[in-house]
Amino acid sequence: MLRTGIVARTIIYAILIVYMILIITPFLMIFMNSFKSLREIFLRPFSPPSRFTFENYIKAWKKANLTNAFLNSAIVSFASVAGILLVSSMLAYAISRYEFPLRRFLYIYVIAGLALPARLAIIPIYVILQKINLLDTRLGLITIYVSTGIAFATFLLKNFMDDIPVEIEESARMDGATPWTIFTKIDLPLIRPALVVVGIVNFVGIWNDFFFPLIIINSRGKETIPLAISIFFGEYSNQWQLISAALSMSVLPIMITFFILSRYFIVGMTQGAIK
Amino acid sequence: MQKVKIRYMLLFSTPAILLYTIFVIYPFIYSFILSFYNWPGVGPKIFVGLKNFRDILTGPFGAEFRNALFHNIYFFIMVSILELGLGFLIAVLLTTNIKGKRLFQTLAYLPNVISMVLVGFIWNMMLNPQWGLINQILKSVGLGALAKPWLGDPSLAFNTIILVNVWRHLGFYVLVFIASIINIPPDLIDAAYIDGASNFQIVRYVIFPLTVPTFQTLLILLFIWSFNVFDIVYALEGVQAGPFRSTDVLGTLFYRTAFGGLGSSRMDFGLGAAIAVLIFVMVIPVSMFYAYVIEKRRRK
Repeated sequence: MLRTGIVARTIIYAILIVYMILIITPFLMIFMNSFKSLREIFLRPFSPPSRFTFENYIKAWKKANLTNAFLNSAIVSFASVAGILLVSSMLAYAISRYEFPLRRFLYIYVIAGLALPARLAIIPIYVILQKINLLDTRLGLITIYVSTGIAFATFLLKNFMDDIPVEIEESARMDGATPWTIFTKIDLPLIRPALVVVGIVNFVGIWNDFFFPLIIINSRGKETIPLAISIFFGEYSNQWQLISAALSMSVLPIMITFFILSRYFIVGMTQGAIK
Repeated sequence: MQKVKIRYMLLFSTPAILLYTIFVIYPFIYSFILSFYNWPGVGPKIFVGLKNFRDILTGPFGAEFRNALFHNIYFFIMVSILELGLGFLIAVLLTTNIKGKRLFQTLAYLPNVISMVLVGFIWNMMLNPQWGLINQILKSVGLGALAKPWLGDPSLAFNTIILVNVWRHLGFYVLVFIASIINIPPDLIDAAYIDGASNFQIVRYVIFPLTVPTFQTLLILLFIWSFNVFDIVYALEGVQAGPFRSTDVLGTLFYRTAFGGLGSSRMDFGLGAAIAVLIFVMVIPVSMFYAYVIEKRRRK
């Protein structure tokens, strides 16, 4: 660890505090503005709101259709993460544990997905979803998120499974347990840390994703939060107090989750992207 | 490793392989095929050979394509310098003997968990020329001359977008560098102190050389991510990537071409697919190299 004297440390604190102020100010600004009237936003930009009423919040919540948006985001994110974890851990298990022809090829075939930016294939994805009647549906979104999440999840989970000694399964097999029982009762619990990392990385990514909902969803009532806010921003620009309230409400849940689970978030997101 | 009946292997691998093949691999192949056709999305596809590529590279869309491509490359260079440079420096500060590291790290990472498009809208308000906080602050400290239409001036808009991007992502690079720095054996730093090295010398000759692999990995990732830029431009300037296309990137150009939006000269899936193929050709060697590197590191 670098040792610093009192002078150096003071400078370091000063730099870090300026950095923190830069991070917090925009959040503080939308939060303050969300309680102000439009007049106040223009006339008294620096002063705290004169009153704390939730008028803007109630209006924005209704007009931005946030009940639906939160519901849709929750359904899509949870279902997609569950889907990714299920099919990827199964595939990872097969590749890690079973010996079969083309095993190595199958692994490389899936890992190749790490190198394919899914957004670039959006035109065919759009056409396929249209053909199977999944365009403009939550199931369509979930299908795409699960499919594009497989490569990364399988890569991480397979590597984790490789480190579990096969002997652990032996006694269960002697007792006549089926491969499915062995997988769910013995291996899955052992790779839980990896499942948590994969789960969080994907959840945050899907919860925050804007691109796929923008293309796939086009009827009101099915939009996720980023899309709902984007539509609201377009329709109500100039109503900055309402937009501030809508933005505050949409960033708050993920912020709170982050502060509670920050350790997992940080490990998951940094390790996930690099390794 | 065990030999089992093939049906278990199939049971475990089929769902993922099917989804992956239909919705990831097949769309990529299909993109290549579509790029040789004209197709507005309905009706018959018309085979046009390499015409789409000629249109994009040298024909009527050449100027627009080069403009967007230039912005992606500029974005990659600027963001690499700012995010990796500042990220490394702040990580060094956060690995000294100061207090409150965890709080600083958590706050630094905070903007990363917010949807990019929401970050864009928040900054859209911060940068509002009339009442946005940035210009208000500049005016109130007597620097009113510096209050600019940050997103409305073609010579400023793209750099402003880059800075907002740095605001959003810097914490990620800080944390990755911290992880890399704390992996350096403490003995190395202690030995340097015994030899009478200053902190600056330790950073320059011990810490920096040992984090070079992290710089390399992050550069590769930044290259790939730089060609994916879309949300932030969409939120700050819309799909038209105004003012006057001064913030246009391949992502917004691709979106306009494939899915329309006012002012796009031609809406065509074939032309859009051709743009996707060109982006793909630029990015894929780098991302394959990345996949190769992480797979090799894992095996060590």
